Amino acid sequence: MAIDAHPELPEFDYFRPATLMDASRFLAQHPAEARPLSGGTDIFVRMRDGFWHDKYLVDVKNIDGVSELRFDPTSGLSLGAGVNMNRVIASPQVQEHYPLLAEACRTVASYQLRTRATVVGNICNASPAGDTIGACLAYGGILNIHGVDGFRQAPLASFFLGPGKTILQPGDIATTVHFPLPPAGSAGTYIKLGRNTWSDLSIVGLTALGYPDPAAVSGYRFRIVLASVAPTPLVAATAQDYLEDTPPSPQAFKQAAILAQEACNPIDDVRGSARYLRAIVPTLTEKALNKVYKLMENRG
Amino acid sequence: MATPTLTKKVPHPVGDSVPRVDAYEKVIGAAQFADDLQFGPGLLYARIKRSHLPHALIKKIDASKALALPGVKAVVTGKDFSGFLGLYLQDRNIFCRDRVRYVGDPVAGVAAISEQIAEQALDLIEVEYEPLPGVFDPEYGASPEAPLLHPDLGKYEVANFIFPEPGTNIANHFRIRKGDIEAAWSQCAAIVERTYRIPHVQHVPIEPHVATAQVDDQGKVTLWGSSQSPFAQRYLIAKALGMSQSDVRVIAPFVGGGFGSKAGVSMEALAVAIATKTRGRPVKLRLTREEEFYTAFVRQGVVTHFKMGCDQDGNLLAMENRFYWDGGAYTEYGVNMTRASGYSSSGPYDVPNVKTDSYCVYTNHPVGGPMRGFGMPEMHVGLEQCIDELAHAIEMDPVQFRKINCVQGGDTLVTGMTMHPTGLSECLAKTAEAIGWGRKDPPSAPNKRRGKGIALMWKAPAMPPNAGSSAKVAMNEDGTVTVSVGGQEIGQGSFTVAAQLAAGALGVPIESVRVIKRLDTDSSPYEWQTVASRLTWSMGNAVVAAAQDARQQILEVVAKAWDENPDDLDIIEGKVISYKTEESISLKNIAIYGIPMPGDQGWVGGPILGRGNFMPTYVTGLDPETGQGPRAVVHYTTGAQAVEVEVDMDTGKVEIIRGAAAFDVGKAINPDMVKAQIEGGFVQGLSTALFEGMQLKEGVLQNPSFVDYRIATSTDVPRDIKAIIVEVGQDDGPWGARGVGEHSMVPTIPAVANAIYDAIGIRVGAPPYSSEKVYLAMLDAGLVE
Amino acid sequence: MSNHLIAVTVNGEYEQVEVPSQMTLLQMLRDKLALTGTKNGCNAGECGSCTVLLDGEPVNSCMVLAVECQGASIVTVEGLAQDGVLDPVQQTILEHGGVQCGFCTPGILISARALLDRNPNPSEDDIHESLVGNLCRCTGYLRIVDAVKDAASRQAEVAA
Repeated sequence: MAIDAHPELPEFDYFRPATLMDASRFLAQHPAEARPLSGGTDIFVRMRDGFWHDKYLVDVKNIDGVSELRFDPTSGLSLGAGVNMNRVIASPQVQEHYPLLAEACRTVASYQLRTRATVVGNICNASPAGDTIGACLAYGGILNIHGVDGFRQAPLASFFLGPGKTILQPGDIATTVHFPLPPAGSAGTYIKLGRNTWSDLSIVGLTALGYPDPAAVSGYRFRIVLASVAPTPLVAATAQDYLEDTPPSPQAFKQAAILAQEACNPIDDVRGSARYLRAIVPTLTEKALNKVYKLMENRG
Repeated sequence: MATPTLTKKVPHPVGDSVPRVDAYEKVIGAAQFADDLQFGPGLLYARIKRSHLPHALIKKIDASKALALPGVKAVVTGKDFSGFLGLYLQDRNIFCRDRVRYVGDPVAGVAAISEQIAEQALDLIEVEYEPLPGVFDPEYGASPEAPLLHPDLGKYEVANFIFPEPGTNIANHFRIRKGDIEAAWSQCAAIVERTYRIPHVQHVPIEPHVATAQVDDQGKVTLWGSSQSPFAQRYLIAKALGMSQSDVRVIAPFVGGGFGSKAGVSMEALAVAIATKTRGRPVKLRLTREEEFYTAFVRQGVVTHFKMGCDQDGNLLAMENRFYWDGGAYTEYGVNMTRASGYSSSGPYDVPNVKTDSYCVYTNHPVGGPMRGFGMPEMHVGLEQCIDELAHAIEMDPVQFRKINCVQGGDTLVTGMTMHPTGLSECLAKTAEAIGWGRKDPPSAPNKRRGKGIALMWKAPAMPPNAGSSAKVAMNEDGTVTVSVGGQEIGQGSFTVAAQLAAGALGVPIESVRVIKRLDTDSSPYEWQTVASRLTWSMGNAVVAAAQDARQQILEVVAKAWDENPDDLDIIEGKVISYKTEESISLKNIAIYGIPMPGDQGWVGGPILGRGNFMPTYVTGLDPETGQGPRAVVHYTTGAQAVEVEVDMDTGKVEIIRGAAAFDVGKAINPDMVKAQIEGGFVQGLSTALFEGMQLKEGVLQNPSFVDYRIATSTDVPRDIKAIIVEVGQDDGPWGARGVGEHSMVPTIPAVANAIYDAIGIRVGAPPYSSEKVYLAMLDAGLVE
Repeated sequence: MSNHLIAVTVNGEYEQVEVPSQMTLLQMLRDKLALTGTKNGCNAGECGSCTVLLDGEPVNSCMVLAVECQGASIVTVEGLAQDGVLDPVQQTILEHGGVQCGFCTPGILISARALLDRNPNPSEDDIHESLVGNLCRCTGYLRIVDAVKDAASRQAEVAA
């Protein structure tokens, strides 16, 4: 929050469109003045801070099936934009098939905020510190976006452009995020360092997912995503490639961790200095990879 | 004047852990706080235009556009209010007049029909500034190079125990010159010299400040607010407006956390000033949480230089201290922390030679005010670490070193005062035992290191020498007792203590006692302020005196009716009994209507109203050059605290595994509430040790919200906190009691720092001991790579 | 649409309230319905003193628009006790000395009530998870955690 944050929300109009097309058209007709509203936990804070001045908030939480959590044993998991994080955490299908996503959601803020906050909202907010984004990237998430021209899909891998910046255009509403079935035998973990023991925004966040893959030289593939060390959630591609070619071992994980560190581009901010972030990334990455490997072994 | 209660048998419910008298209404949501009060449709809302520059001249203010905004009822600026505010030094205008001195300094105020409109009006007020160079460091501020922030320092009204240096930024310079420090150094076997920079922190009461003011057509003020100090606010605001105290009425409901932030006057005068222009309509001013962080009182930052030495047997011989307090833009309250740290600058130790210079320096930072501990937590951070270092230098156990040196009754203190009996040694011994001192348990994982640390503390109530309390005890027809005090319930349990003391001194069951839970300077008896951990002791004495006064009146009435000697009568469980005849009569009815004489021959008695007061009369001044005097303070509460920590070598994160603390409270009036203070203070201390620090950059606060000013949550608190009560009675406290509200957070930071040192062999320096600070210290020391 | 007429049930009572779009649920409760038990500590979803139940789930009412609550059921601290009988979470926090200044208390009670509603036998970790969004500056939390544990076992006794 800024020091001159207002005591109340500024004036705006609120409405609930009946259909997604109504919503998209309105949003496209009022670029820079209208915004889709889901959980609101990011929007209200910024409006009170004076950073966002939208005249219209368009509530998309409940239209057109956007509040559904659907799991299909062949096609995977679909989370609507209106599905709050507590629902994700509590879902037996998520716990069984996408445990990393539940684990990441659990680290967000507080129980009260998670009653409103949504995974889709976390994605669209596009903070480099977004706790659930790493899991979404690791699970290969694909966004369903509804715009003035109807639906289109966007893989998360190319969705983020910068802090708070995405490929979304005026009129676009992210309606669901879809995750294909995770590869058999996969395991993941999210290690988050905050200031408090629980809760807090991440000083640094480490998402790691691994799975056996006979097509890989090493027999395994890993997906590694770092939060809060770059302008966007950072996929450690070089480290991932290295582990595709190098059989898993504590040494390999150590080396992969160094490659992850080299990919980082942190800045000094109130939460932590670049020097500190760079210094602890390798240890946390190594820890995450070892843990994931052990989880995979226990399963297999 | 209260009868000394120390030697008498302790009557129930004094010493019992009775349930709080204010908790029920709080759990059902009925307890009213200042923002819950309803004022009807006439209520206006205020917002404040604040400086965004840390130091600047005000060239011009144009509020015409703001006044023209529909819904705006008044706009005020400093030109309408020339008076000064200040508890110990009158250096602050209500609104800035010619210059602004910190980011947030109030420049104008708006009252409007809604908070929204008032806020919009702020943007329409045009202020032209001429920026001036700023002072952001107290040592620089004290140097001749620094620009002068208060050129009129010499003209400000000031209490006679504060020593400003006009022509400089030094608002107070307190000196101690005891013994012969230069000779002493040559006799030291070990000397430690260190500097600690303590950052600003904020009280963070969960309830932000709020004040509603109304001025009637005769200029009489009513102020409703979240306030620890209704009487002090009445006094200070009346003075600033050129009124008399009786023209200002302050009404204070429950306070949602104070910790000192709601003492004195901070934002309340703004509401009153605005209300003078709204023709009788009440005006409510609320601080946002962001404003709470940077415009309300903060705990001053300080640069502390320590030098201390001991002989080869571990006896402390000499201490030389220089404290540069970052007083902020106005030091009207902060000057006294400078003094208090000065007269306590030996720490709780017997040191024959002490030289201290404690400076309160103006800077362009937020305003330093009283925060729990009043300079003691900040001072003990470095002091208690230097003590550990000295102990290590002569290869003595830190507990043993403290045992040799800790202050005892009869010692001559740093100001020349004689120390009263104190249980500090007992606190030390019990705390060391409770934490398992000397035993090192294995860490919980291979990447962790364990350590234990201990620290002692002391603190005296810091107040003017004549801070007084008074109380009323009124009887009711149904036999209940109404206790009226001026001390505020800020969560510490003062209303409950008042009820217990009244019940015990009068002889009625606790269930019969009602405490008036809303303070009103028109009807509540005077209380200087709810600060300094003084209520149980000072207000308590007044309550006991009032209850005894009522008791005496009752006994005299019954004695007359029964033709007996009052000395043969007593009040027990709400009944007057005669030890001689074994007759008894309930207090019901007789305490109001009196007792009829036999044969319908008239009546004796009348409505019983007991009154009592207490004011210490023995505090003396101190020599301005040496800080010496017969009696610097009323008394010291002493204590000890120890923690066990684990340091994560991968991240630097410090986890508090367990804690133990013991405080000498003289007499625990309500043992469970004392323990609750010990626990709560420990957690607030732990929070300042690990998380808290206001990040100020060129005078601008970078972390003005809970997002980046972190405080302890439930997950940060160790399960095992042992709270130990030690009781060595205070000669003039109710049944020997003295205060403990502040003390439990004083030693926490150094205890944690000493434990970190024990774990990883590194002194990390100044708090907060964030994972980053600890990790980078380990990295720089080569402990991790 | 800048003003909305909404229908909500608050503590079991049906209410019709006119609210501007930007009015938060917290403001509606305090300023329109005179339910001042729920507190404003930060207005940013951080301190939890504004916590209420929204359709049975705890939310920071400062982070919810009143208009979003059309048709919803809300429970505040004033709605916990029934006919003068305290809810177990209220009773136990009293007994354990978990109330000092009382400002955080309403939000804590709601978070605790919601926890026991969804998980009648919570572990200590579960209790922390439910309370980590409720800041307290006075008590140090331990007594509050103990109180919630105690409330859970008392409820279990009654149910048994």
